[in-house]
Amino acid sequence: MREKFFGVLQRVGRSFMLPIAILPVAGLLLGLGSSFTSETTLATYHLLDLMGPGTVPYFIFSVLSKCGGVIFDNLPLIFAIGVAIGMARQEKEVAALAAAVSFLVMHAGISAMIGLTGGADKLLEGSTAMVLGIQSLQMGAFGGIIVGLGVAAIHNRFHQIQLPQVLSFFGGSRFVPILSTLVFALVGILMFFVWQPIQGAINALGMLVYSSGYFGTFLFGMIKRLLIPFGLHHVFYLPFWQTALGGTMEVAGTMVSGAQNIFFAQLADPTVTHFSTAGTWCFTGEFVLYIFGFPGAALAMYRCARPERKKQVGGLLLSAALTSILTGITEPLEFSFLFVAPALFIISSVFAGLAYMLCHLLNITVGLTFSGGLIDLALFGILQGNGKTGWLLLIPLGAAFFAVYYFTFSFLIRRFQFKTPGREEGDQETKLYTKADYHARKEEGEGVSAAIVRGLGGAANLADVDCCATRLRCTVHDGDKVDQQILKSTGAAGIIQKGQGVQVVYGPQVNLIKANLEAYLRSGAAEAEQPIIQGETEHREEAEPEHGELLRTLVIGSPFRGEAAPITACPDEAFAQKMMGDGAAVIPWEGVVTAPCDAAVSMVFDTQHAIGLELEEGVELLIHVGINTVALKGQGFKALVQEGDRVKKGDKLLEFDLDYIREHASSTSSPVLFTTMEDNQRLRLLKTGHVKPGEDLLALDIYGE
Amino acid sequence: MKQFSYVIQDPLGIHARPAGALGKAAKPFAGTVISVAKGDKSAKVTQLMKLMGLGVKAGDTVTVTAEGPDEQAAAAAMEQFFKENL
Repeated sequence: MREKFFGVLQRVGRSFMLPIAILPVAGLLLGLGSSFTSETTLATYHLLDLMGPGTVPYFIFSVLSKCGGVIFDNLPLIFAIGVAIGMARQEKEVAALAAAVSFLVMHAGISAMIGLTGGADKLLEGSTAMVLGIQSLQMGAFGGIIVGLGVAAIHNRFHQIQLPQVLSFFGGSRFVPILSTLVFALVGILMFFVWQPIQGAINALGMLVYSSGYFGTFLFGMIKRLLIPFGLHHVFYLPFWQTALGGTMEVAGTMVSGAQNIFFAQLADPTVTHFSTAGTWCFTGEFVLYIFGFPGAALAMYRCARPERKKQVGGLLLSAALTSILTGITEPLEFSFLFVAPALFIISSVFAGLAYMLCHLLNITVGLTFSGGLIDLALFGILQGNGKTGWLLLIPLGAAFFAVYYFTFSFLIRRFQFKTPGREEGDQETKLYTKADYHARKEEGEGVSAAIVRGLGGAANLADVDCCATRLRCTVHDGDKVDQQILKSTGAAGIIQKGQGVQVVYGPQVNLIKANLEAYLRSGAAEAEQPIIQGETEHREEAEPEHGELLRTLVIGSPFRGEAAPITACPDEAFAQKMMGDGAAVIPWEGVVTAPCDAAVSMVFDTQHAIGLELEEGVELLIHVGINTVALKGQGFKALVQEGDRVKKGDKLLEFDLDYIREHASSTSSPVLFTTMEDNQRLRLLKTGHVKPGEDLLALDIYGE
Repeated sequence: MKQFSYVIQDPLGIHARPAGALGKAAKPFAGTVISVAKGDKSAKVTQLMKLMGLGVKAGDTVTVTAEGPDEQAAAAAMEQFFKENL
C-alpha cells in the first residue's frame, strides 16, 4: 500500500515536470516586465520620463509582463492538462483534451453557483478570481491538479470502454471527455460548498497571526508557504498587505493601513531614516529564502541525483534556482520536490517562518512589489542604502540559510530515499505498470493486436498508427512487408494499401482496436510475443492458407439501400459465426432487393424471405432478408423472380414490407453472403456504413489451388 | 452406403439456419458424400443453397444418404442431428 502510494506520488511528481519547465521563462518575463512597469518603482527612481507610460521601454516591459503573467494566471489550467498527460497511460492527447474541457466545466459550475448565491461581492476578499474569464473561486494550482488527477483516473479506467453498437461512435477514448464533463460539473458544484469554509478558516487564521507578535511573523511565513500549492495564500496574505490586519501607522501625517501600503508610503517620504518593520515584516524574509535558501535546496537535490541523470536534472534545477534568485519566482523549484517529498516542503515552510521572524527581529526592512528576488532587492534594499534597510545583514543571514537548506535537504533526501528529480527509478516503474497492463489485457485485445502488428510487418515496420471513424490508418516503412492475409484474419472488413499507407477497415469499433494496439505496442510485448504467435499454428493456418496466385476477383454490389456491416455484426449467432458463409449484414432502409450482379436465380425459398444466386459455376450468393423471417411464412414478401431466371445487375428480385418485418421479425438485419467459400477463396468487405443499391459491397478473391 | 429416412418435425423445416448447421455437422466427414433427398430432388449437405431449395417442411419425409469411408459414423451423426434439430 505504502509503496503503491509512493509510486503514484512519484508519477504525479513527474507529471509536473512538463508544466514546470515552462515556468522559468515565464518567471523572467513577468519578473523583469512587472518590476520595470511598476509606477511606484519608476516614480521612486524618477524614471517616469525615461521609462514611464508612453515610452518605448515601458511598451516592451509591458508586453513582457503580460506574456509572462498570462502563464502564471493560467497555471491551474496548465497543471490540469500537464498532470492529465503525465498520469494517463495511453492516448494522452485525449486525456489532455478532457482535462481542458473539465477544467472549464468545473469553474463554470463554481461560477454559476456564485452567481446563484448572490455574486462574488458576498464572498471573502481574495477568495475569488477570474479563471479564463470565468468568475470563480481562487483555487490555485490545486484546482488544476484535482482536474488533472480526476480526468486521468477516468481516462485510465474508461478509455477502452465498449459501448453498444449504436453508440459505438462515442465509445473508446471518445467516452472520456464526455464522462469527464459530467463528473466535473458535479465537482464544481461540490467545490463551491467545500472550498468556502476552507477559505474562511484560513482568513480566521490571519487574526491569530496578527495577535501573536514575532511568533505571528513566524506563523505568517510558514502558513503562507504551506498554502501556496492550494492557492489559498492569497486569501491569507492579502489582508496583511492591504488592510489594517497588517498594521496601521502614521506616515508623513496620514494614517496608512496594510503592510505594503505602509512601506510604500515610507518609501515616498524623504524624512524617513529607517523603514519600519511594520511595513516589511511580511516581506523581507522572502529575500532570504528565494535568493539563498531555495538555491541551497536545489544544490542539495542536484548533489543527490543519480550520476547518470545529473546532467539532465542539473539543467532543470539550475534554471529553477536562477529564476528564484533573480525574479523571486519559486514555483519551478518548490514544485520539483513538493509533490514527491511533502515532508521536505513542510520543513521548508518552517524554515520560511524562521526567515521572516529573524528579519523582523534583526530589523531588516526591505519591501517588495512583486517577489523576493534580486530585482526587488536592488530596487528596495540596495538602492535605498543600508542605513534605511539594513540589507547588508541579509547576506550573512542568507548564507546561514543556504547552508541549513543544503545540509538538511541532503541529509533527509538520502536518509528517507526521497524521489527528488534525478532519483526516480524511472525505467523500472514504467516496466512495472506495462507488465500489469499486459496481463490485464492479454485476453481481450492482445491476440488481435499481435496479429495486426505482424500483418503490418512487425513493430519495427510501423511508422504511425491512427484511425478515422471506421479505419485503422497506418504508415509503414516497407509496404512489401504488409501481409494482408494476416490483417484480414484480425476481423478486418477490408484492406486498402497504397505503398506505405495502409488502411484496415474494421467498422466503428476501430477506436477500441486502435487503443488496444497502441497499448500493445507501448507495452513492448510486440517483440516478446512473436514466438507465441508462431506457436499458434492453428490460428496461422487459417489466416495464411497455402495457395497460389490470385486468379480473379468477383465484385458484387449491395442488394439493398441501407447500413452495411461485417457479417459478424449480424444479431443472429449462426450468421455471425459464418455458419452459412461469409459476407455482409445490411440493415435495409427500403423494402427492395435488387440483383447485386449478373447471375442465375438458383433458389427462391418457398417463404420468399431468402434468394439464392449463382454467379458462376460453384459460386453462390445468399440474400436473406431479416432474421427469423422464415417464421413469417411468406407474409410481407413478394418474390419477383423464380428459380432458373437469369437476372442482370440492378433487376428487382424481391419486394418486402419493411414496416411489417420490423414489427414481426426479430431483426431487419439482412445477411448477404457467399455460401460456397472454398479454401482458395478470400472475402473482402468493401464498404461499411451507408450503401446504395448496386454500390460495391463484397469482393471475392479466387486464388489458384 | 448408409441410408435412413426421417420425418421432419420442426414446423419451419430446413431453412437457412438449420441448413448451415447441417453443413457444419457434416464437416468432420469431409471424405464422405452426404446428401438429403426429398422426392426426386436431392442436395449434398455442403450445398447450402440446394439444400434450402429442396423446400423441406414439417411433415415431409427426407432420405439421408452417406457414402464413403466414414459412412457408418456419418450416418449416425446425421441421424442424431436430424432428431435433435429437425
